[in-house]
Amino acid sequence: MPNKIIEMGLLPETSFRILYQAPFSGPMYVEFGDEKSRIALREEEGDFIIVEELN
Amino acid sequence: MKENKKKQVLLVGNPNVGKSTVFNALCNKKQKTGNYAGVTVASHSGHYSFKNEEVEVVDLPGSYSIYPSSEDEAIFSKFLIDEQKNYAGVIYILEALSLKRGLLLFQQIQDLGIPMILVVNQIDQAERRGINIDIKKFSESVGIKIIQTNAKEQIGIDEIKEAVLNNKFVKAEKISFETPNEHKDFIQKVASHKGMDNEYKAWMSLSLGTDLGRIESIVGLMNEPDSKSLVPKRLQVQETVRRYQHVDKILSDVISKKPQFKELLTEKLDKVLVHKFWGYVVFLMILLIIFQSVFFLAEYPMNWIDDLFSWTAAFTSEHLPEGPINSLISNGIVPGIGGIVVFAPQIGILLYFLYLLEDSGYMARVVFLMDRLLRPFGLNGKSIVPLVSGTACAIPAVISTRNIENLKERLLTILVTPFMTCSARLPVYSIIIGLIISDGTFLGIKYKALVLMGMYLLGFAVALFSAAVLKRFIKNKGKTYLVMDLPTYKKPLFGYDLKMVLGKVWDFITGAGKIIFIVSIIIWFLSYFGPKQKQDQFVATNVELDHSYLAKMGKGIEPIIEPLGYDWKMGVGILTSFVAREVFVGTMSTLYSLEDDAPEVKVIDKMRRDVKPNGEKVFSFATGISVLLFYAFAMQCVSTLAVVYRETKSWKWTGLQVVMMTGLAYFVSMIAYQILK
Repeated sequence: MPNKIIEMGLLPETSFRILYQAPFSGPMYVEFGDEKSRIALREEEGDFIIVEELN
Repeated sequence: MKENKKKQVLLVGNPNVGKSTVFNALCNKKQKTGNYAGVTVASHSGHYSFKNEEVEVVDLPGSYSIYPSSEDEAIFSKFLIDEQKNYAGVIYILEALSLKRGLLLFQQIQDLGIPMILVVNQIDQAERRGINIDIKKFSESVGIKIIQTNAKEQIGIDEIKEAVLNNKFVKAEKISFETPNEHKDFIQKVASHKGMDNEYKAWMSLSLGTDLGRIESIVGLMNEPDSKSLVPKRLQVQETVRRYQHVDKILSDVISKKPQFKELLTEKLDKVLVHKFWGYVVFLMILLIIFQSVFFLAEYPMNWIDDLFSWTAAFTSEHLPEGPINSLISNGIVPGIGGIVVFAPQIGILLYFLYLLEDSGYMARVVFLMDRLLRPFGLNGKSIVPLVSGTACAIPAVISTRNIENLKERLLTILVTPFMTCSARLPVYSIIIGLIISDGTFLGIKYKALVLMGMYLLGFAVALFSAAVLKRFIKNKGKTYLVMDLPTYKKPLFGYDLKMVLGKVWDFITGAGKIIFIVSIIIWFLSYFGPKQKQDQFVATNVELDHSYLAKMGKGIEPIIEPLGYDWKMGVGILTSFVAREVFVGTMSTLYSLEDDAPEVKVIDKMRRDVKPNGEKVFSFATGISVLLFYAFAMQCVSTLAVVYRETKSWKWTGLQVVMMTGLAYFVSMIAYQILK
């Protein structure tokens, strides 16, 4: 997994939402954390993240 | 070394936190960009003087961590660590909306024992979001006085200057990072063995795994049994997670939120700008608007400039004493320089738009939109930035590949970016299109504009196509990924960008002007003199152009260029273009002014009238298309080559680029000419 994901602040126990995704399974537009940071992630990078559904 | 010692400070922070706004606000009066001594790359540096103190501000590339994952971050870390002796301290910029992310790098630098001033920018933005930051508490927990700024409004800038003047840079009293227990013994051993003054330096050298500048090599110690469990990348993750836990603790006491949540401009805009369909429509519209402006807005100043130079040429021809000097100035230098200055408005408009797009935060959205589409070609979404800015100039475009983490994707991007239609090709295209394409319109759009648009698309298509071919021959090093910040939109710095653009345009004019000046003089000399015609002459002077040395040389290369449909004059133009493409126009201006002594007639009209001995037009449709294709593909820019070599550090790839591009150009132009003639 690229360290960059963690450096950007997307850490374990962080809540996030996927707001948009580019066509043809393109990158995801992810908003996360208290500061509503936004990053773009490919699906491949997303696969490294263990997700738990919130409400 | 330096005569009067300047205080040097570094401007550091995450990307997109408004560093350049602060830089601009600090160095308002005197600024220059350029190569930074000691580093192989261009970092921004500027100057200001405050209460009789001269200060140099170095604007380093933004980074998220001291551990680099791309070339620009590596440049940052290396400068920060290597140059410690030379700078007084670091001005660290935090953006109020993303304190958490910013504090990671802040603490790493703090723990390295580097003195800092802390600036929190754009607090008003946070307040609008209902976020309240207790600056006093914040300041206590990080152990540094905090300066609040709103750099756009110049608020807080004098406080920064005051703090720099009084050397308010603070070193941390204790390290905020606690070495994990399982590694503590070994880290202490490394630290004492290497005589490092703190544990974090030892930890960092281990986490880096490689030797970065002055963080001493730890190779010798890596053979100890304790070190076996140490994997640099894992240590980095461990550190990052620990630091964020610490940062969270600090921030929970500092930040308080009101329950209501106001939607920011960024959220509203992104509903459209990254939309699956509308996002692409908007991007295309923006590109169309840019190109439309480049051609139609620029038309008026271009006509003025053209008239001015024609007038100057006529004036000097009339008023200077008859003779060689007159002909050199009014037929050589003036038209040569005029031929290039006339394109300054187009280049300026194009650059200005690109600066505004980058500044506003929109480019990150374009990366998001294009990533999936570029991947089949072996490129990364981030490649779109060099490709788009390659339409202005390949040099900054090649440099802007530095944030592409994967080396293969970066190399591919560097190799294909020069195919993009740069502004130096614009003069050549404009003049050739003007010669061979008629004035009609299609659906209200001029044929000429359509052909030009076609040339831009062709450049882009060939860039993608050659990337798809080349990717088979380049070994992959490391994983490809896209993890990229999508910054909040910011109002672009219209004034600052304009200043930067004017500076760049001026550089272009003076840079190209110098070359063209020299080339014009050489061409004039070669055309004024010719092989002796009488026995007693050493050389013939004031010869007919056809009997000059220049014609002799041009005709010498004619066999090579004949299959492409060019005559010897174009051959000379193409030869001189290998210095820089735009020289073609200057060379043509000079050549045609020499041949036809009528300075008031525009060069393009002289070119249109020119005929071959057999009565055919020199610039026929087939020849014109062939020239267009040659300039689209050939690698004809010495400066770009120099930058490609510097960025790839490889003669192999630089050489391959020259051969690939120029070979393709020759081949395609020849086929086009042979079919069309």
